[in-house]
Amino acid sequence: MGLIFKIAWRNIFRHKGKSFVIGTILFLGALFMTLGNGVISGMDRGLTKNIIEGFTGHIVIISDKQETDNVLFTLMGKPIEAIGNFIEIKKVLNKEDYIDKYLPVGRNLAMLLNEEGGSPGNGFLLGVDFAKYRAMFPDNIKPVEGTIPEKNEKGVILPSFARKEFYGYTNIWFVPTGGKLIEENFKKETKEKEEPVGIKVKDSMVVMGFNDKNTTMDVRVNVRAVVRYNTLNTIFGHFALIDIESYREAFGYFSAESKASEISEDKKKLLDMGNENLDMLFSENTLMTENKSNGKADVKFTPAVKQEKSEVVDVDTGAYNLVFIKLKKGISIDDALLKMNKDLKSANLGVRAVSWKKAFGLIGSMSTVIKGALFLFVMLLFVVAVIIIVNTLSMAAIERTPEIGMMRAVGARKSFISNMFLAETGMLSFVFGGAGVIVGIITVNLLPLFKITSENDMVQLLFGGDMFYPVLSMSDIMLSFLQLAIVTFAAVIYPIKVAKSITPLDAIVRD
Amino acid sequence: MIEIKGLKKNYMLGETTVLALRGIDFNVSEGEFISVVGPSGSGKTTLLNIIGCVDFATEGEVKIGGVNLSGLNDKEITDLRLNKIGFIFQTFNLIPVLNVIENVEFPLLLMKKFTAAEVRKRAEKLIEEVGLKEFIAHRPAELSGGQRQRVAIARALVTNPDIVLADEPTANLDSVTGASILELMKEMNQIEKTTFVFSTHDANVLKYAQKVIKIKDGKIVDGE
Ligand SMILES: Nc1ncnc2c1ncn2[C@@H]1O[C@H](COP(=O)(O)OP(=O)(O)OP(=O)(O)O)[C@@H](O)[C@H]1O
Ligand SMILES: [Mg+2]
Repeated sequence: MGLIFKIAWRNIFRHKGKSFVIGTILFLGALFMTLGNGVISGMDRGLTKNIIEGFTGHIVIISDKQETDNVLFTLMGKPIEAIGNFIEIKKVLNKEDYIDKYLPVGRNLAMLLNEEGGSPGNGFLLGVDFAKYRAMFPDNIKPVEGTIPEKNEKGVILPSFARKEFYGYTNIWFVPTGGKLIEENFKKETKEKEEPVGIKVKDSMVVMGFNDKNTTMDVRVNVRAVVRYNTLNTIFGHFALIDIESYREAFGYFSAESKASEISEDKKKLLDMGNENLDMLFSENTLMTENKSNGKADVKFTPAVKQEKSEVVDVDTGAYNLVFIKLKKGISIDDALLKMNKDLKSANLGVRAVSWKKAFGLIGSMSTVIKGALFLFVMLLFVVAVIIIVNTLSMAAIERTPEIGMMRAVGARKSFISNMFLAETGMLSFVFGGAGVIVGIITVNLLPLFKITSENDMVQLLFGGDMFYPVLSMSDIMLSFLQLAIVTFAAVIYPIKVAKSITPLDAIVRD
Repeated sequence: MIEIKGLKKNYMLGETTVLALRGIDFNVSEGEFISVVGPSGSGKTTLLNIIGCVDFATEGEVKIGGVNLSGLNDKEITDLRLNKIGFIFQTFNLIPVLNVIENVEFPLLLMKKFTAAEVRKRAEKLIEEVGLKEFIAHRPAELSGGQRQRVAIARALVTNPDIVLADEPTANLDSVTGASILELMKEMNQIEKTTFVFSTHDANVLKYAQKVIKIKDGKIVDGE
């Protein structure tokens, strides 16, 4: 063994050029593979942390009527099924000791009516009790203009991203009640250079739930605050927060107030009707324009009966669409899902729990796409590296025919020759590849210091947040070394075959 | 020690077949010092290669120490080369990255039979015998042709093989060096009873031989 390493070691120095080429390839390959692993890992960790802590929690409860688990970034117009029995669900959740917090929310696509007669806009609404929302996600948003309501008040909290989107649709610039257009924010958010002249500024908006049965209502809500999500503003910012009662009104859901008055219809019937309406697809633009030409939606079915004064009612008696759940520290999502689904099923509540990843559907799959692309990139590097090394080593084997053939003639077995090649490439791989991994680790740890940020959705997804923050866990580092070892072995198989086929006669016949 | 019966060797050169050996029969007993002579192209190298287990017969039978070579696999053939045969090539290939003593030690280390100290001792002794004591740490590139040839001889002898085959060992050497090497081989032959078979077309070399096998066009023309 010592002999093999001695020969291999000296051969590395004897054939410096070749060793350098192979070493460089191994270094770069290992470096980029490590960086790739770091980016993938950072994206995973960032998305997980940011989405769990700032948007959905670990688990989302959805109606069993919901066909797919994807309930957050759905394509236009596919309404989310309502959950009418949150009071019952709450009883189950309160018994699950691994749950930290939960928050029921309404979530659907709404139309933003244009009071100026132009084309309407649309956007996702998240109907919440502001106080409970703040308790669940204490620091995921910060105000840009206005103040975030601490109590459950009526109104809308508009993310700056959604404000920009609405401005794009309607040419209306929303500001908090009583506020004015702040030029600096306008320029920053819209990236427009010109002075904001002739722009309509409004401090309230009229929203209307989307469905094709015209069972929705247009509801005017005051803008309470314009906010930024601390991370992933361009992704989370698609969702405007609206107080849950206005939300229910806009979507024609029974509200807690109507529940309290309980005029003639019973809860069960209402819920079924609501769901039936929501089952329908609403994606045709023609319908949108139709609605617009009416100026106002026909209200044929309005289970939400407006009352002048609300009694003190439990807001949870009304309809929701989803329940966000945060787990206690150290609880496995899979275990929690298993237990929760068992309990929900046995209570026969018509709902199921899904992981945040599934609920986040499109974003989740986009992150998979990005991951796949990165993986392909790493694989490509892998293949290129292997091809170059195979070539160089095979040539080296052929060049060393006299030497190798002579070793065989003197009595070296084929295994001796293959071990010699393996040792030589292995040492190069260990030194250069190892250096590549180490430089990769250092780079990954230095990159966050540069505070590279992006406003672009796709890039933010790649970053797993606003900032580029690749990370390498111990297992990622092990993975890098494993990949390096695989590259080394893959690259050395063919050259070894070439070297082993050299016979003593090849060496003698040569000259 | 060596038994050869009806040995034929054909080489395919494109469409034509070269008949390098056309039926060779002879035996070599232990401790013999034999020379194979013949004009260029007569088949000397081919014959030695086959005896040395680096080339294979097309037809006929070759036995080394009673073992028929045709029945052996690659591993067995390799071990036979390692343990029984010392081969001195017409072109003296050494391992470029190893120095003189390391080159000589190489087959001994492959055998895995001796301790490092024993290996070193044997190698030193042989290097001294071939007169390269002060070149012990030199790499092959730093040696002359004759010096390299002597390293190759030391390497062939270091394992104390039953048979040493040498293909024109003096062809690349001046007459003085050539003579000293033949003296060395003769000495080994007498002391260790090693069987030597060497080829040459140098008349000066012939006088050392105990027995001469003359070949021409792949056939023995006169066995002595
Ligand atoms: N690998 C080969 N392929 C084809 N023909 C070969 C090969 N090796 C040898 N020959 C042919 O076999 C014959 C014998 O060659 P060999 O090398 O044994 O002769 P030799 O007696 O050693 O000659 P020299 O004295 O020049 O070394 C020659 O005609 C040669 O051309
Ligand atoms: Mg010859």
